[in-house]
Amino acid sequence: MTDARDTVSQASGVNAPICDPAGEHCITCSDEGVPMRVVAVHDDGTAICEGGIEVMVDLVAPVDRGDEVLVHAGTAIARVA
Amino acid sequence: MKYVDEFRDRELGRVLAAQIVATVEPGRHYKVMEVCGGHTHTIYKYGIDDLLPENVELVHGPGCPVCVIPMGRVDDAIAIAKRPDVVFTCFGDMLRVPGGDETLLDAKAQGADVRMVYSPLDALRIARENPEREVVFLAIGFETTAPSTALTLVRAKRERLANFSVMCNHVLILPPLRALPESPDLRLDGFIGPGHVCTVIGARPFEFVPADYGKPVVISGFEPLDVLQSVHMVLRQVADGRAEVENQYTRVVPYDGNIAALRVMSEVFELRPHFEWRGLGFISQSGLRLSGAYADFDAELRYAVPGVRVADPKACQCGEVLKGVIKPWECKVFGTACTPERPIGTCMVSSEGACAAYYNYGRFARERVVV
Repeated sequence: MTDARDTVSQASGVNAPICDPAGEHCITCSDEGVPMRVVAVHDDGTAICEGGIEVMVDLVAPVDRGDEVLVHAGTAIARVA
Repeated sequence: MKYVDEFRDRELGRVLAAQIVATVEPGRHYKVMEVCGGHTHTIYKYGIDDLLPENVELVHGPGCPVCVIPMGRVDDAIAIAKRPDVVFTCFGDMLRVPGGDETLLDAKAQGADVRMVYSPLDALRIARENPEREVVFLAIGFETTAPSTALTLVRAKRERLANFSVMCNHVLILPPLRALPESPDLRLDGFIGPGHVCTVIGARPFEFVPADYGKPVVISGFEPLDVLQSVHMVLRQVADGRAEVENQYTRVVPYDGNIAALRVMSEVFELRPHFEWRGLGFISQSGLRLSGAYADFDAELRYAVPGVRVADPKACQCGEVLKGVIKPWECKVFGTACTPERPIGTCMVSSEGACAAYYNYGRFARERVVV
């Protein structure tokens, strides 16, 4: 399965990762957050968001398919409403 | 894209810019600090400062966790990464942060198994898939990122994953912020608050700023219209003679934060008595380490690290940049000896570092003005 992150990683290589200064916010930095839509919910506290990205949803539980969440470093930290 | 496009609308931006002009008193100079590096990035990327009147100055704050990591901590990370039994995982930006002698990327080039991950969960997966190796995750970030590390550690403990550990560098945004309003170098009129940190801790902890210092705080989102509107809200408070915490980012930030996130953080972490910030020195109770219940997963207890303090390079003025005392281009090495490709200081590494953001988006416009 190819997800959005693989594409970014392949395109940029390790010297210019996703947090390339010319790109979007860096994931290392505290305040990068991306709104994502949940497409599948697992029973272990994780969900799959658009782009095939696995996200921990413990902090915004319960979530359903179609919910919009704000994702930071692989964790949904808030619902977007 | 929903929640993004409508906050980049050009016409609305012009309307907001006009409202800002109408709010300020001509002849008075206003200084507003954006605490968070994410806002610094937005300001340079979208040219927000060009839309503001000349007497409204945006000052960059200390809110970039890569920028505030001292060189000694990088050296400690490299010491762990060089162990032959270790797979060392970290976010991309940390690879290029200079330690005393080298970066994690240099260590990788010399054969250390250093891998970039996008989430601590990826590091956990590497640990599951490589039971014969020791997998260490370099945790870094403010309160936005700490819950992600905490949830990952809860999973590691539940799975009894003995080959996983974390080198914790999580820091808190409020302790350095307490020092800023008192700084004699800065006479700030108000603050743009860090929106995503506030999804976790809420807006309430910022109430000390208006209560103790009489300065307004507006918690802001990260799209260009979010930042413009927040600047307007700060200036509106100044014009009205008010000082309070306002929440511009209501679509995401609850006033009391995310209770589940705060709960898991308090279970997994405890306060360090003090933590060194690059350029700012030691700040008491400003950093997190793993709590006693998670001590088995603490990489600093599992491995001997040098723990040596390394002085910043003399030419580097990241400290002054982080405190908002000087602008990036006023640093002696900006854009010459220090560039994003070969950074001397941390502010030039991360996309949210003021120097890197300015280097990438602002320097050409400034050169045009200078010429």
